[in-house]
Amino acid sequence: MHKAVIIGGSAGSFRVITRILNALPKHYPVPVLLNLHRLKHVRSGFVEALSIKSGIPVVEPYDKDSVKPGIAYLAPSNYHMYIELNKKIALSTEEAVNHSRPSIDLSFETAAHTYNKSLLGIILSGANKDGAWGLKKIKDAGGTVIVQDPKECEVATMTETALKMTEADYIYSTQQIIDYLLKIK
Amino acid sequence: MSKYEIGIVDTRNVLQAIKETHGLDFKNHALTFFKRRLSYIVDKYNLKNAEALIDKLIHEPDFYELFLKEISIETTELFRDPSLWRHLMEKFLPGLLKNQTSFKIWFPEIASGEELYSLAILLNELGFLDKVQFVVGSISQLRLDDLKKGRFDLKKMEVNQANFKRIFSEAELEDYYRREGDQGYINRELLQNIELARQNTLYDQPPRSVKMIMWRNQMLYFNHILQERLLKSFCHCMMPGGHLIVGMNEKIDYWNSDKDYTLVGDNENIYKKRYS
Repeated sequence: MHKAVIIGGSAGSFRVITRILNALPKHYPVPVLLNLHRLKHVRSGFVEALSIKSGIPVVEPYDKDSVKPGIAYLAPSNYHMYIELNKKIALSTEEAVNHSRPSIDLSFETAAHTYNKSLLGIILSGANKDGAWGLKKIKDAGGTVIVQDPKECEVATMTETALKMTEADYIYSTQQIIDYLLKIK
Repeated sequence: MSKYEIGIVDTRNVLQAIKETHGLDFKNHALTFFKRRLSYIVDKYNLKNAEALIDKLIHEPDFYELFLKEISIETTELFRDPSLWRHLMEKFLPGLLKNQTSFKIWFPEIASGEELYSLAILLNELGFLDKVQFVVGSISQLRLDDLKKGRFDLKKMEVNQANFKRIFSEAELEDYYRREGDQGYINRELLQNIELARQNTLYDQPPRSVKMIMWRNQMLYFNHILQERLLKSFCHCMMPGGHLIVGMNEKIDYWNSDKDYTLVGDNENIYKKRYS
């Protein structure tokens, strides 16, 4: 029933996302969209760092690339990443939203619009409020939402804000998130 | 994240109104981008809906100019992607410019001055600025006016500084501009040899004998039809062996495009026009 997974995270999410990617099998049945805040001048090292232990390929997409199953698409630094209705990625250098570019909210919102109830949205540890509004959009469109347990988060601002705005389907530890992701067929 | 959401039908109506009133055709801008941008503009200028937007676009020339400024998206900061600029500084430009007496560089759509200022500073540091003629275009007159004054936003100075320091160890960015309130103004000496040209959405009046085109992060906002059309026309106006630089996450990819352009270098998105 899930046709795509989208994950947002910021401070304290790197180790979590590394564990998640590490657990995914090669030929994972759906695309994994990643929007993780990072330092602006770190352009290329990040995708390599995520790739090392990942079970699936991690790429920074080019503008208008098609979204395919079994691949993790990392929002490139300093661009917004939209998921368009034709399941292609659109990048833009438009204004930062809530001081963020990439903006998790914008990726979540457009993915929600494209995948509706077949989208799984996950929000992880982070130090700002980006993503909370977008997670609500996923929920409103009929999608499923998971929030990393704030008790487990290195920085809980992002997950706590998300929980205030949206009734999460699941509040999970990293291990529970992995178990859930592995059930997707 | 706009409060007001413009629909597809609204978007088509806006396109139609602009075409009929002002003769500018946006139909090959990426539709979802254009639609999103319209919602943003409706929000920002406190308009009620698409009809209100259309009304202003038709009847208020000043607003139309603001609209064109909003629709041409800024390239955002000085020396965006420092690794590219460092490559241009250390390897690419010295080799390219060493034996040239004159060198024309075209920015088809400038959107914001930062790209031009960055390149001018870099050429100045290399001692090549005197050889270079810039031709700079935009669909927005307001953007060209800003450029003529050398204006840029000081809000991003922290990032600008950090980028600068990653490229130049000796030079100081402070030496290249002055402050007035919350605006920065780039030194006039950098912009001596520059020609400004208003463009339409087809950029169909390219300058002649261009040796390099800077066109980063502009293809993002066009569909494949317009991308291909522009890339072919750019190829045509360049001297054989001329170079086109596109954004980090853009690529030239149309049928037989490898007959027009070939990628040079590893991953810095510098294309070369093929001799043939």
